[in-house]
Amino acid sequence: MNIPKKLLYTSEHEWIRVDGEKGNIGITDYAQHHLGDIVFVELPEVGEEAAMGESIGVIESVKAVATLFSPAGGKVIEVNEELEEAPELLNEDPYGNWIAIIELTDHSDLEKLMSAEAYTEFCKNLE
Amino acid sequence: MIEITNSSHDPCFNLALEEYAVKNWPGSQSYFILWQNQPAVIIGRNQNTIEEINQAYLEEKGIQVVRRMSGGGAVYHDLGNLNFTVVVDENNDFANFEKFTRPVITALKRIGIKAENNGRNDITIKGRKFSGNAQFKFRDRLLHHGTILFDSRLEDMAEALNPSTEKISSKGIKSVRSRVTNISEHLSIPVSVEEFKQILAEEVLRAEDSNHSYQLTDSDLHAVNDLRDNKYSAWAWNYGKSPAYNVRKTHPYPWGNIDIRLDIKRGLISGCRIYGDYFAGGDIEELEKTLIGEVYQEEDIKKCLEQLDLEKYLPHTNKKEFTDLLCR
Repeated sequence: MNIPKKLLYTSEHEWIRVDGEKGNIGITDYAQHHLGDIVFVELPEVGEEAAMGESIGVIESVKAVATLFSPAGGKVIEVNEELEEAPELLNEDPYGNWIAIIELTDHSDLEKLMSAEAYTEFCKNLE
Repeated sequence: MIEITNSSHDPCFNLALEEYAVKNWPGSQSYFILWQNQPAVIIGRNQNTIEEINQAYLEEKGIQVVRRMSGGGAVYHDLGNLNFTVVVDENNDFANFEKFTRPVITALKRIGIKAENNGRNDITIKGRKFSGNAQFKFRDRLLHHGTILFDSRLEDMAEALNPSTEKISSKGIKSVRSRVTNISEHLSIPVSVEEFKQILAEEVLRAEDSNHSYQLTDSDLHAVNDLRDNKYSAWAWNYGKSPAYNVRKTHPYPWGNIDIRLDIKRGLISGCRIYGDYFAGGDIEELEKTLIGEVYQEEDIKKCLEQLDLEKYLPHTNKKEFTDLLCR
């Protein structure tokens, strides 16, 4: 299981890569592996605002539909439209392919997220 | 496991109940619902509605189209079809279809029918599908549901799910056609759908301890009815939620050929081009611009055209003919 060091993680298996006021968000290797072949990504709308843990989209795999939650509160400023054409990119490289970029409203949300070490431990307990 | 008593045949209510159950009822408990719908087409979460249905047939028969939370293709429900829903803690059951389809297989075994998982999301008898299954995950809860064709009207199913040969393209999930069968075709002893419901419920509950049944309370009903009225009965969810798509409408009229390209996003016309070899009466771009932003639904298009001097752009047509071309 690939869990990059510099990202922050949620218990819903999303990651966020924070860069100043912005954060790129996506789903983890664990998430893509458990979902199986991803066939559709419903992206949020640019301009949409979401609180931490609020639903911002869905991901459909051959097995199930899972809800995507925002790892932190913010406003969506960009979405990865490539995923509309090629949802399987999330299987191929879940950390290289972000789903959306949000402008963070409250940095203190980030303190509630897991580090790579904590998330590794979290996943271990799920197995 | 808690068995929910639900005798509603309203597809919007029943799908609302599923969402309510997976999002609101306390974790650590498991729930089981057996339910049936009056004739309806239930489309997958990320499907383009008009690409999946025979609109004219559904209108003629008064059959509703309702989008569900789970993924996959379009299915036809009627009172000959039985639906089962199980809501559990997610744990490690995610994508474990066999755990949920096993009671169906054992129930059938009790009435002398051999059924098996087909390795995808279906259960089959002699290689023909009678049950389609799908899952929806929300936080730490998982909803698994499946259809069971007991004695559905398969000819109505074929009609309802036979879209007109319109030229539509989208990234939406396409339905996979399967050879289907009813359980009733394989019975050697007579079993009614009511008797089979009983047997299936016993098999689902067999593996669980401390089972009891639960009647929806007034506050449950209030919340579910709200969800039914505001979401599952609404055009915005059933049609508007369709992934972006393009549709091409062409027709050879005696006065010329017309070719219309529409881009539809979130149910609205976001792009429109009208081509033709007819003699255009006015600047066709004006007409295109008027249509952009309208809800792509017959009523709305009709209203939009009412305020317009259509003959200025297309001298030989009339509003009815043009609306039909755009929307039918």
